[in-house]
Amino acid sequence: MTSSRQGNRNRVTLRRTLITLLVLLVALVIVVGAASLLGSERLPVSNSLCALTTLGTRQCGLTSDQFDILFQIRLPRILLAAAVGGSLATAGASYQALLRNPLAEPYLLGVSNGAAVGTMLALLFFGSLEWSRPLMAFAGALVATLAVYRLARGRVGATPERLILAGVIVTTFLSSVIVFVTTLMDATRIRSFTFWLLGDLSGANTSLLPVPIAVAIIGAIILTLNARSLNLLMLGERDAFDLGVEVGRVRMTIFLVASLLVGSSVAASGSVGYVGLVVPHLTRLSVGSDNRITIPSATIGGALFVIIADTIARTVIAPRELPVGAITALIGAPLFIYLLKRV
Amino acid sequence: MLEARDLTIKYGHRTAVDNVSMSLEPGVVTAVIGPNGAGKSTLLRSLNGSLMPNSGTIHLNEKPLAKFSRRAIAKQITVVAQEAELRFPVTVLEYVLGGRFVWVNSTTWGWESEHDLQVAESVLAATELRDLSSRMMNELSGGERQRAVLARALATEAPILLLDEPTANLDLSHQATLLGLVRERCNTQSCSALVITHDVNLAAQFADIILLMKAGKVVKAGTTKQVLVPDLLREVFSVDVLVDAHPISGVPRVTPVH
Amino acid sequence: MFFSSSRPSKTVALLLLTLMSASACSRSSAVLNNPSTHTRRMLDDAGREVFLPDRVDRVISLAPNLTEIVFAVGAGRRLVGDTTYCDYPIEAKTIEKVGDTQHPNLERIIALRPQVVLVSTASQLEVFTEQLRNHDIAVFITDPHDLEGVFRSIEQVGEIVGNAEQATALVSMLRGRAAAVDNALKQSPRIRTFYQLSAEPLYTAGHDSFVTDLLKRAGADSVTANVPGAWPKYSAESALAARPDAIILPTGGSMGEGNGTVAKALAASPAAKTGRVYKINDDHLVRPGPRAVDGLEEMARALHPEAFKR
Repeated sequence: MTSSRQGNRNRVTLRRTLITLLVLLVALVIVVGAASLLGSERLPVSNSLCALTTLGTRQCGLTSDQFDILFQIRLPRILLAAAVGGSLATAGASYQALLRNPLAEPYLLGVSNGAAVGTMLALLFFGSLEWSRPLMAFAGALVATLAVYRLARGRVGATPERLILAGVIVTTFLSSVIVFVTTLMDATRIRSFTFWLLGDLSGANTSLLPVPIAVAIIGAIILTLNARSLNLLMLGERDAFDLGVEVGRVRMTIFLVASLLVGSSVAASGSVGYVGLVVPHLTRLSVGSDNRITIPSATIGGALFVIIADTIARTVIAPRELPVGAITALIGAPLFIYLLKRV
Repeated sequence: MLEARDLTIKYGHRTAVDNVSMSLEPGVVTAVIGPNGAGKSTLLRSLNGSLMPNSGTIHLNEKPLAKFSRRAIAKQITVVAQEAELRFPVTVLEYVLGGRFVWVNSTTWGWESEHDLQVAESVLAATELRDLSSRMMNELSGGERQRAVLARALATEAPILLLDEPTANLDLSHQATLLGLVRERCNTQSCSALVITHDVNLAAQFADIILLMKAGKVVKAGTTKQVLVPDLLREVFSVDVLVDAHPISGVPRVTPVH
Repeated sequence: MFFSSSRPSKTVALLLLTLMSASACSRSSAVLNNPSTHTRRMLDDAGREVFLPDRVDRVISLAPNLTEIVFAVGAGRRLVGDTTYCDYPIEAKTIEKVGDTQHPNLERIIALRPQVVLVSTASQLEVFTEQLRNHDIAVFITDPHDLEGVFRSIEQVGEIVGNAEQATALVSMLRGRAAAVDNALKQSPRIRTFYQLSAEPLYTAGHDSFVTDLLKRAGADSVTANVPGAWPKYSAESALAARPDAIILPTGGSMGEGNGTVAKALAASPAAKTGRVYKINDDHLVRPGPRAVDGLEEMARALHPEAFKR
């Protein structure tokens, strides 16, 4: 599957995929490094680079405060940004292929808000138990997904159009629930919730950081393994079925894994919008629609996107911070309009 | 070999297929003709496992169809249906390679092998699409797209082909070519084919067996000479016809009388 | 009246009648705005001219600090409505609730027939001032940014309710206490302090926050005193790099028991290491009212215990 440009591009091969992913990974490492050097506090560049390349085993002349800033605050936050961006982009790319709709993305399908409601309930009722948040977020995402699917399933079955429609209904309903719950809170909590709802990566220095990272990697792998099925599903569920795809099983896998990806992202950082929509589109424009290359590329692309957005969010009005979701929207919305015009 | 026994399929209260028994033998091309709503597509859909019958059984190579996995069925049976929506850009070659889904295995990391490419090339040649192989599917004409759909089905190398009105969008020359291709496959590689078509004469030309269906029942199954009889055709299609022999091939030729 | 059987003329007549009565209404409301009973004129903190009757018997407060002030100047009995967050003094809880600071219930306010509504931020203004004016209810905005501003608010409220003397006495007393703190701290060095409003996400007090003034008076050198805004979300790195020697945790009041621990970024700060983390009742710190002086004293004593040893 190639891009919509005039079509004499070669088909995607294993070699091309590996080269693309390698290039993206190198870009990721560079961006992680660059982002580590930026922040509200200035760190000496060469010392920081030295410490980074030795993976924190040597202090390299940094003061202990500088060292802590680099490895306890900045790097975890950058890694969380990568995990969140990668998860949301992968989920978005998979939804778009499964639902055969380029507009499908976690927020529109109600999944993000489902995860947000789950997280809020966890914070309200199980505040002290850190593990409750990703678990309830996953549950919320799953419940929202199933609700959308149920709603969309008419006599004709859950066509992509019906799924998007049902998704919009569920997401707006859940938005009202969120507003309702926040108005019941007191003023101080409202402030922090509102910030979190727009996307906030400052909670990265928790013991739970390995969770979103592991989920992002495992989720991306599982979805990439289903890429060939998705390639056929993109051309029609009936065709895919006829050609040997176990449609029901693949659909369930996508829904479950995508819910997990969205749930873990939202639990960690709130709803970071536009990533699941814009990054898969950009990826398809660059490398084509064959999901074997698109899905893993979107994962890395999403990581890059959110790292860059978060770096802006935490430096542009330093020492104050903006919610990262505001930056992804500011970049994402015009970018999406531009993409729509091209296609 | 694909065999259906006493197949009944209902949509709610409406019986779409009523106690139908038929079989597809290797090397035999079977045409299914009948008015709209006769249950032809429903029958086809049940034969590849897409639709569960309410009663009756389907056996593939003596084993019940229900016992096969999706992949196993797809290796044996392939469907040529009306082409689906093309929302994402895809080239003809990639589209046809989709037919190799069940054959691409873990030794090639999920990527197409040289053999897969060769199969694709040969079916593209057979359907006269080789020159268009790197074009986008949505740039093709309706007829060219239909040929690509057939090419993909042939790429699966499945011995049983189920075709639902494959000549609907094709011009005269390509109609003959496409069905000729199916015929040739079945002759040389012993595959069986079920072709649903509205074109009775085309069916007469290429099919060995014709199933005449109306309101879910098979009114008559037999050779073209046995089935294409004015009384039967009037009963099924509610129109008077004249049946004579094609001047060159001798095949029965049906002409409606107004 | 010229009667016509045709529809269009009837519509026009109806339209004219409506317009005439509408203008009559607005004329009468303009008259209501400055009735002969509203002879007093005061300037509020938003620079608006507010007309008040000579005697104010019914007051509504739309912020907890204003409720406290009304009670403190002895006019608690005349408070006919306050918000759901107004909980001090204890009598404030039994006053009829008219909503909260951000979303006051207009109908209920009007039904209670107050003569003046005390408001603490200008942001609520556009929502209802016009409506209240039509019902002959005055709106008075207070907007104190520092302790002096609080003293002024107390005097303003005192004047509004006609208890000016009581208000002046209260302000004197409070000023005295503030001066005493100032004196006690004359020899003490300023302590580098971080005010943590919440840990996750990390919020602090900025330049426009009322607490920043209290911190200054309590002998603290607030690390975030010059950060723009009132309650900015603060960078964890900068908090770490600031190395505060003391941390103030507002908690235990309206905030509940949350915010009881120091943010991770500050866990290795000199303040945390030496145990100089002080929990102060948040109601004493964020409500620009009489208890702000309590908050000032509490912070001063916590930060400079040696200056208050007798």
